[in-house]
Amino acid sequence: MALLEIEGKAFEVDGDGFLSTPEIWNDEVAKLFAKYDGIEEMSDKHWVIVKYIRKNFEEKGNAPMIRSICQETGVKLREIYELFPLGPARGACRVAGLPKPDGCV
Amino acid sequence: MAELTEKNINKGLTILENFKDSKLLTNLNSCVHCGLCAESCVYYLTFKEPYFVPAKKVDLISSIYKRYFTFIGKYVPFLANTKEINDETAKEMVDLFFGACTMCGRCNLHCSIGIDIAYLVRTGRMMLAQMNLIPASIQSTVDSSIKTGNNMGITTEEFVDTIKWLEDELQDEMNDKHARIPLNDSNVNILYTLNPREPKFFPLSISAMAKIFYAAKESWTISTKMYDVTNYGFFTGNVDEATVISKRLYEEVINLDAKELILAECGHGSRAFRWEAPNYLKKEFDFDSNTSVELIAEYIKTGRIKVDKTKLKLRVTLHDPCNLVRNGGILKEQRYILDQVVSEFVEMTPHGIDNYCCGGGGGQLAMSEYNERRMKIGERKAEQIRNTNAKIVVTPCHNCVDQLMQLNSFYKLNVQIKTLAEIVADAIIID
Amino acid sequence: MSWFILISKISFALCFAFCIYTLFRIISLGKPKDYAKTKGDINSSIKYSYTGGMSPVKKESAYLHLPTYIAGILYHLGTFLSLILFFLNVLGINLTNYLIIPIAVFLIISGICGVSILIKRIFKSELNSLSNVDDYISNVIVNVFQFVTIYYLFYLTPTYFVISAVLFLYLPIGKLKHAIYFFAARFHLGFFYGKRGVWPPQN
Repeated sequence: MALLEIEGKAFEVDGDGFLSTPEIWNDEVAKLFAKYDGIEEMSDKHWVIVKYIRKNFEEKGNAPMIRSICQETGVKLREIYELFPLGPARGACRVAGLPKPDGCV
Repeated sequence: MAELTEKNINKGLTILENFKDSKLLTNLNSCVHCGLCAESCVYYLTFKEPYFVPAKKVDLISSIYKRYFTFIGKYVPFLANTKEINDETAKEMVDLFFGACTMCGRCNLHCSIGIDIAYLVRTGRMMLAQMNLIPASIQSTVDSSIKTGNNMGITTEEFVDTIKWLEDELQDEMNDKHARIPLNDSNVNILYTLNPREPKFFPLSISAMAKIFYAAKESWTISTKMYDVTNYGFFTGNVDEATVISKRLYEEVINLDAKELILAECGHGSRAFRWEAPNYLKKEFDFDSNTSVELIAEYIKTGRIKVDKTKLKLRVTLHDPCNLVRNGGILKEQRYILDQVVSEFVEMTPHGIDNYCCGGGGGQLAMSEYNERRMKIGERKAEQIRNTNAKIVVTPCHNCVDQLMQLNSFYKLNVQIKTLAEIVADAIIID
Repeated sequence: MSWFILISKISFALCFAFCIYTLFRIISLGKPKDYAKTKGDINSSIKYSYTGGMSPVKKESAYLHLPTYIAGILYHLGTFLSLILFFLNVLGINLTNYLIIPIAVFLIISGICGVSILIKRIFKSELNSLSNVDDYISNVIVNVFQFVTIYYLFYLTPTYFVISAVLFLYLPIGKLKHAIYFFAARFHLGFFYGKRGVWPPQN
C-alpha cells in the first residue's frame, strides 16, 4: 500500500498506483489520475472510454475486453493507445479507478 | 505473510534435500564471496547497496542449506554465518528471491566461478512455495490460470467474440472474405498460442500474426480451450501448479493433433514450455515447440512471405528478452528478421546474451509491492534506448513490451514499443 | 619420519580422501536429466565453459575488475605452486638453487595479492557484508601457507608441515572446497547453455 499525492490530494493506491478503494472513485479522481499520467485534459473520447470501463467494472467486477471498449464506444483500437499511452490496463483502467488486472500488464 | 509453522519450514527444506542430480549441490557449495557479480546486476548497478549483490542471494540459500545439512552448520555454525529459517529469514527470502531478482541470469554469465545464480533464486522461490509464502500478488495470476484456463480470467465467449472481431478486421484489410483466424481446427500444421494480454487489451499482435499466417498460407489454429502461453507457476516456484498449466497445453497439442506448437512472443512462457514443461511432465515431447520468432525468420528465409524493408523509414532498435536470448539461445533470428523488414536497425549496447533485463522479468510486473524498484532498475534500459536515438523499440516478449511502455512514459523516451510480429506484418507484401 | 612430517602426510591423506569422496558424490549424482529437446551442442559448450567462457574478455567479473582479477589469478597460481612444492618436499626432492629465488619472488608477489584481497574484503562494504568467518580464515590459512612455503625454501622448519596440515584439515570444512566444486559449476553452466544453444556464442 502506498500514498499517491496529486495536486495536494492523497489517494491510497497499490504499488502500481491503482486505487486501493475503487468505491471512492469519481470524475475528479479520474481527472487527477489522468493528469498524473500526462493527460492534461480529458477529452470526450477519454471520458467515453473511462465511463464504459467503469460501468463494466461496477456491473461485472472486472475490466472489459478491448473489443467491447472499441465496439461500445466507437473509438478505434489504435486511437485508444494514443489516448492512453500506458495502454488500456495501466492507462485507462487506472484512470477508471479499477484494481490492477492480473497477468502481464 | 502467512504464518511460518515448523511443518512449513520442513516442507521448504525438502527442496534442499534429496538431490536429483549434482547441479544443486554444486551451486550451493561453489560461491567464494568474491562479490564481483555486483556490477553485472541491474539491481546493484541501480541501488549500489551491498544488499543487492547477487552473491547475497546465493549466500542466503547456501547459509540455510549449510545450517541444516552440513558439518559446518551442525558443529561450527558461526564460521559460515549459517541461517536458521525463522520469521526474519523468511522475510529476507521473500524480499531477495521475489522482490530483488528478475532471474535474468546475467550474473551467471559473468560469475567468476560460473554459478547458476538465477537457478538458485528459483530454488529459493520453490522453497517459499512449499512454505506457503508466495506473494499474493503473483499467486493471483497463477490462481486465475488454474481456475479459468488463462491468466486474465477471460471467458471463452469473450475470447471467441474477440477473435471473430479480429477476423472481420483481417478480412477487411486483406479484402478477402476467406481470410480466417481458425479456432479449434484439428490436424493442422501449427497450434498457435497467445499471451492473454493480447485478446484482453493488446490485440494488434494477434492481427499481425494472423496476417503473417495468411500471407504464408499456413495451416494453423488457436485453441479456445488452451491458448495461454504464460505459466506464472514457473515464476512462483510452485512446481505442481506449473505442471498443471504445462500439461493443459501439452494435451491440447495432442488433442488437436497439431504437428508443431508455436509459442507466442512471450519470454517466460516460451521458456516455461520449450525448456521446462518436458521436465515438469517428465517426458520427451513427440512434437516440436518453437517460438514465433524462429517461425517468422523461416518464412522470410524460404520466401513463404515477402517483405519490403523500405516501407518503414524510422530507426529501430531491439530489446533482447532474457528468457528468449540468454536462457533460450534465440539470438540471430530476430536480427535476421529486422534486417529484412526495416531500413535502419541499430543495436543497443550491450545486447544479445549480454543484454540488460528490462526490469520487468521474473514476475516483477505482477508484484506491485516492488513497483518502485522495478521502475528504478528500468532506468538503465531507458538510457540504453535513448542512446540509440531509435524511434521504435521492438521486442519479442509481451512482458518486456509492458515494462518498456511504462519506461517510455516514465522516462519520457518518446518511442513506440512493438512486437516483432507487428513490425513484420507492416512490411508484408501480399501478391 | 619426524612427527610433523607424519601429521602433514596424514592430513593430506584425509584431505585427499575428502576430495575423492566429493568428486565421487558429484559424479554419482550425475548431470541433470533434461527431457527438453537439445537445441545446441552440449559438448562444445562444456568445453567452451572451461576455456573461452572463462576468458577475461568475456567476463565482467574479470574485465570490470582487472586489478582484483589479476590479483586473484596470481594468488591461485601461488597456491598451486605451493602445493606442488609441498609434494616435492614430502617426497624429498630438492630444488636446484637456480629455481629457489624466482619461486620465492613469485610466491612473495602471490602472497601480497592474497593479502590485498583480504584487505579488500575487510574494507569494501559490499564484500564485508558478504563475508563470514570462514572467508577470512580460508584467506589467512592459504596466505600463511604461501609465506611459510617461502620461508621453507631457505630455512627448514617444522612449522611448515604444521601449517600444511592445518590447510589440509581445514579444506573440507569451509569454502576452500571450491577447489572441487568450481569444476562442477563450470560443467553445469556449460551443460545448461549448451542444451539451449546459448554457448558456444553464435557470432
